[in-house]
Amino acid sequence: MVIKKGFPVAPAVAFGAADAGVEIHQLSKWFAVDENRVQALDRVSLTVQDGEFLTLLGPSGCGKSTLLRMLAGLDVPDEGDVAVYGARVERPSLSRGIVFQDHRLLPWLTVRENIALSLHKSGLSQQEQNARVSELIALVGLMGFDKAKPYQLSGGMSQRAAIARALAPRPRILLLDEPLGALDSLTRTRLQNELIRLWEAERITVVMVTHDVEEAVYLSSRVVVMESRPGRIQSIIDIDLPRPRKRTDVRLVTLREQILASLE
Amino acid sequence: MAKQQPVLTPSAWRPLVVPLLLVTAWIAYSLVRDTGDSATFTSPNAFAVAVAKDTASGFLPGAIAATLARAIAGFLIGASAGLAVGLAIGLWRPVDRLLSPTIDSARQVALFAWIPLLSAWLGNGEAMKVSLISLGAFFPVALATAVACANVSRPYLEVGQVLELSRRQEVSKIILPAAAPAIVAGLELGLNIAWLGTIGAEYLIGTGYINGMGDGLGAYLAQAREYARMDRILIGVIALALVGLALDRLVSWSSRKVFPWHRQ
Repeated sequence: MVIKKGFPVAPAVAFGAADAGVEIHQLSKWFAVDENRVQALDRVSLTVQDGEFLTLLGPSGCGKSTLLRMLAGLDVPDEGDVAVYGARVERPSLSRGIVFQDHRLLPWLTVRENIALSLHKSGLSQQEQNARVSELIALVGLMGFDKAKPYQLSGGMSQRAAIARALAPRPRILLLDEPLGALDSLTRTRLQNELIRLWEAERITVVMVTHDVEEAVYLSSRVVVMESRPGRIQSIIDIDLPRPRKRTDVRLVTLREQILASLE
Repeated sequence: MAKQQPVLTPSAWRPLVVPLLLVTAWIAYSLVRDTGDSATFTSPNAFAVAVAKDTASGFLPGAIAATLARAIAGFLIGASAGLAVGLAIGLWRPVDRLLSPTIDSARQVALFAWIPLLSAWLGNGEAMKVSLISLGAFFPVALATAVACANVSRPYLEVGQVLELSRRQEVSKIILPAAAPAIVAGLELGLNIAWLGTIGAEYLIGTGYINGMGDGLGAYLAQAREYARMDRILIGVIALALVGLALDRLVSWSSRKVFPWHRQ
């Protein structure tokens, strides 16, 4: 558990190296608010290792979601670069799965059709696609809900389906934008454990945005604490505790208190 | 176990209260002072006799059939054109720039103000009436379709980006289904205007010594007025209300069947 304060320095290796999961280099972003230009992110640099579970944590307005959207390719940086597995991010890609806070399942499609839609570039035959979708429905625990429409699902079930849709094309990285933020606490706790299980089963890199400190320390291998106006990295906290973790583990509780104190 | 539902629950018969009160008042009034002047008043008795007579002779069913046929023909033509133009405007920016200002101006002309122009070109026959009705259906359908396609919510469009959908897939999988409920609302409005326009066209155009009376409920009413037949005036008005209501209910019932996720 090492707490590094201050700005992380630029990566020593060449930018765009394929062995690093995510490289963010001196990234800045401004938004136009009325007549003014407001800086959302100020020269953020960060490297995410392959296979890491990394959380971006911070108060609203710290630019954590904006940062994630730039990893997804939904927003473009004004300055700086973003590369994922050696490829510069220029537009959204199925190789970077994303789950939003609102599940964004298409209401006119069934659960199965929603998930299958992300396989249209997979090159799989129709049969293989069906098999892959069934596999994912089982993976996220939605057996028997293939033919359900999103409006017939609870919030937690919808989010499971959204996760399945993001995972279907076998992305190397999963981007989660407050995926559990709209759920009740029981469902949220259950889905946190599911996320860990999926991350371990699929062996993928996860970058998750959250404002829930307990969620961040419980799930992550590293927590990036951000501060706002302008959005910057305040500190990066390694959480090298063994898994499975216990929420009541005194080391987790201490870390949570430390982070909460640093956010005040 | 299905519970036996009484056929007439309070909420089921509540809509009938006002019509029943009106009928009661009518009966009471006719008992107290029936002037016998058939130009200004008709008794419930005389009314019932006239309904029976005009039904038996085929005059009333014929008028209803003619009006329905005309309204539906005009609606089909106008709504098809409206759908085509609305889709073109909603899906292609250049077409929007090309057509929208003209359509927005033409839309400001009241439906019946087109009569002089259309009758100069098309005469006062069937072609003219159906054109007028089509025009009435065209504008609401074109407008609703264009707006619905152009304003699909950003989160859904982002799903399309994230899933790397082609433009064609984006239109078929996201834009059209998302726009469908609003397009159907436009179709409902178009049908309503076609229905009202049909009566107007029949009433205003199908009369006069040169053209004869024409047919349809509008002409039925015009004739009733010409011959000062209060019984037929009432029959015409009530038939318009009932058939119009039936059309409206049929359309909104079927749109609820088609879009179960909508209006939930």
